Amino acid sequence: MACGTTSLWAGETTWFCCGGSWGPCGSTGTGACGTCQSNAHMAAWPNTSQACFDITRPDLCGESIVRRGCGSVMNVKHQCSGASVCVTVADCGPRTKSFCGESACCNGTCRTNRVIDLTPAAFSAIGNLSSGKLPVYIYE
Amino acid sequence: MSHNQQPARRGGLDRRRFLTTAALGGATIVGASALGGLDADAAFAEPMPSLDPAISQSAFAEGRITAIKGSVLEVAGSYGDHHLIQMTNATSVWKLRPTTAAEIGVGDGLYARGVDMPDGTIAADAVWVNIVNLYCTVRGIAKDRLHLAHGDHNHAVVGRIVPETTTASYLGGALTPDLSRLRIGQSAQVLGAWRPEDDTVDIARVTVGH
Repeated sequence: MACGTTSLWAGETTWFCCGGSWGPCGSTGTGACGTCQSNAHMAAWPNTSQACFDITRPDLCGESIVRRGCGSVMNVKHQCSGASVCVTVADCGPRTKSFCGESACCNGTCRTNRVIDLTPAAFSAIGNLSSGKLPVYIYE
Repeated sequence: MSHNQQPARRGGLDRRRFLTTAALGGATIVGASALGGLDADAAFAEPMPSLDPAISQSAFAEGRITAIKGSVLEVAGSYGDHHLIQMTNATSVWKLRPTTAAEIGVGDGLYARGVDMPDGTIAADAVWVNIVNLYCTVRGIAKDRLHLAHGDHNHAVVGRIVPETTTASYLGGALTPDLSRLRIGQSAQVLGAWRPEDDTVDIARVTVGH
């Protein structure tokens, strides 16, 4: 499935590890979809299912995020640099409700609330892992 | 892209050209001003736009370092793959903080971003050593460490508080060295550097929300 250009959402992205790796990431599994790998361009979406939504609860932060299931494809674009990466949904996350109001900014413009998590491979394609978060636009 | 991003993207292209040249030519740098991007923060922040239409995106590698031979890191990937990471004078290194390649050791884990080279190596633009970014619950607080539970199975992680390095952010606020507002039971995002020698994590930044 190809990445599209229809606007889906905007917000803050963070990154996470999955699929087994070194250190604390060695204990992570392959995610809610059973396919997640840190070295692939993959993502976690906070509404892959009702059970997922019940955990992440983006609505508590005012985000009525639409449901997109495992295997959905999205294009994630850095708000300022324009760098983008095409990702496949492979897990449930982030825990939006735990960080309501958190924002990531660039050039004086901020995006609020965690709405997507990227694997290290995907996140590093559009920004710096040590920043931990980025403001992004999401397309499908 | 707005006009005020153009210099940054040009910088990225220049950086990639420079990186490739450095890797092929023995990494001799005639002057930092050639890039304008040798500043580590700027280099890490710079995404890797395509230099050439034939190169769709940057290369990526993940795994643990098994050997260091000269300026090449031999890496065993977590999925049975292997990588040769070519370090150059233009490679930015993060290990708890921006640092140098001298801090990298055998046994370290890494994520590397760079450019695929004809000889099969990846000329690294940026290397993040032992970096982790964990969603945790705070289980205990001591003077020099946090006891954390990570992941669906609540694996125990010890997060070490590093003087003059560890910072906190509360409810999306600015970073502060004041950790006194951390509470047991809070959800926290911990960005830091894993320590292979004792399986703890040096905390660079802990972010707590509600």
